[in-house]
Amino acid sequence: MTATTDKRISATGELTWAATWVDGWNRFWFTPSEPLLLAVLRILTGSLLTWSSLVWLLDAEGFFGSTAWQAADNVWRMNDQPWHWSWYFSAGSAGSITLLATVSLLAAVLLTVGLATPLAAVIALAGYVSAVNRAPLNTFGFDDALGLLLLPLAIGPAGARLSLDRLLWRRAEPVVPRVSATVALRLIQVHLCVVYFFSGAGKLFGASWWEGTALWGAVANTQYRTLDLTFLAWHPLLTNALTLGTLFWEFSYPALVWPRLTRRLVLALAVLVHLGIGLAMGMMEFGLAMLVANMAFLPPSLSLKGSGPESGISPPSSSIDAHS
Amino acid sequence: MPQPLQSDSTAQTARGNWPLPARLLASVLILLYLAVVILPPLAGPPPASELAGVMLQPFRPLVGSLALSHGYRFFAPNPGPGHSIRWTMTTADGSRKTGLTPDAKADWPRLLYHRRFMIPEKLAAFVPLPEAPAEIRQEAVRDWQPLVEDIATRLLARHGGREVSLDLIEHYLPDTFEVREGRGGDDLVMPLGRYRWREEASR
Repeated sequence: MTATTDKRISATGELTWAATWVDGWNRFWFTPSEPLLLAVLRILTGSLLTWSSLVWLLDAEGFFGSTAWQAADNVWRMNDQPWHWSWYFSAGSAGSITLLATVSLLAAVLLTVGLATPLAAVIALAGYVSAVNRAPLNTFGFDDALGLLLLPLAIGPAGARLSLDRLLWRRAEPVVPRVSATVALRLIQVHLCVVYFFSGAGKLFGASWWEGTALWGAVANTQYRTLDLTFLAWHPLLTNALTLGTLFWEFSYPALVWPRLTRRLVLALAVLVHLGIGLAMGMMEFGLAMLVANMAFLPPSLSLKGSGPESGISPPSSSIDAHS
Repeated sequence: MPQPLQSDSTAQTARGNWPLPARLLASVLILLYLAVVILPPLAGPPPASELAGVMLQPFRPLVGSLALSHGYRFFAPNPGPGHSIRWTMTTADGSRKTGLTPDAKADWPRLLYHRRFMIPEKLAAFVPLPEAPAEIRQEAVRDWQPLVEDIATRLLARHGGREVSLDLIEHYLPDTFEVREGRGGDDLVMPLGRYRWREEASR
């Protein structure tokens, strides 16, 4: 009798545990949220993509043409063909390459202003993928960050607010919270945590990160440097502190960005780190793109009301918030 | 207690907008996306487990289609020295030109500089240092030479050249005490060969 009762209690407990997981999953991904933050991310990402597309276009032949820095039939040496498709592979002339690069640029502009947003987002994503898959020799972290943002923007209702679409055709429609806005923001948040986790974990291999000298390696690299910080040679302890602080921040980001208590601190450090990289190493686009991705952790309504430590910033709500 | 963004009634209504089959389908797609986001950096660059490589296999089409094959190892494991490509060219009219890729003065805006800066940075991963055993350096030529041929082709096309020779320069990265003492070191120079248009070479 006792054994039967214990068994039943155990089964109920497991059911409750499983139900908690399902409920948590549902709340995390499928609680509707305001599309305002997603609209702001659309404008900022679209602006960065517009700039990136313009720069690709400045040397379209060099990046995508028949005499490119990397020939089309050598691209397999740096990525996984045939899966890394690109519309530039089928472009036979300089004119068609310029045309395709211009289409990418126009899609980025339309995404920024929010005109025909769903279509613009898909074409902008296709243009981005085509560029980075055709020219892997010329890509870097900025492109990774843009990719992180573009697919969620294509999935979510990025044009529901602050867009020409709304101004021209949907002005009278009320703005309602959307589940798809939550899914898009969550994809950015989780992807960003993956980026920081692997970037931080990769640094744990490096002796210079443990020794606290890695930052010097970036400061002394004249090819990167846009700000002379060589005075740090006279302040080794400061270099140590900045290096170890960066390492700890990056590695702990995926855990500490979720609890309300630490989120503001983690995001404030993100601003310092990414603006620092942007200003000192001449990679402002990379810094800004990472900061735009970090903005996915702001409240979806962008309302600061109730964003204090007690009430918690709830970018869309999560069961993790509940336990913090 | 969990804190939904909207009131319970709003959340329930919206959840009703996504019925169970829709949430199930969305959940499968989300898990699929998470797999293609997490597996590539787990499977490379080295060191990486064989298991991660095997798990990545079925997702390769999706990873490639969405350009998600990133390692996310920014400045890892250690920030290293910078690289440039130094080139000397004979043009069609017989004059000589020299240059650097990237060129901090000519490659503007900065994003264009950075896109060209990545060329020697990524090439350097294929070119062994001069102190590497001759056998390894010889074997590596098969990997880097096709890339260098493309770079040479680009330079010849861009500058109207007939023949170009290239060197990969690894810029000396001074230590803090060297900077304090006003000392430095020499850049490493790794010759990458001389290249000309095929029709000229076959004449």
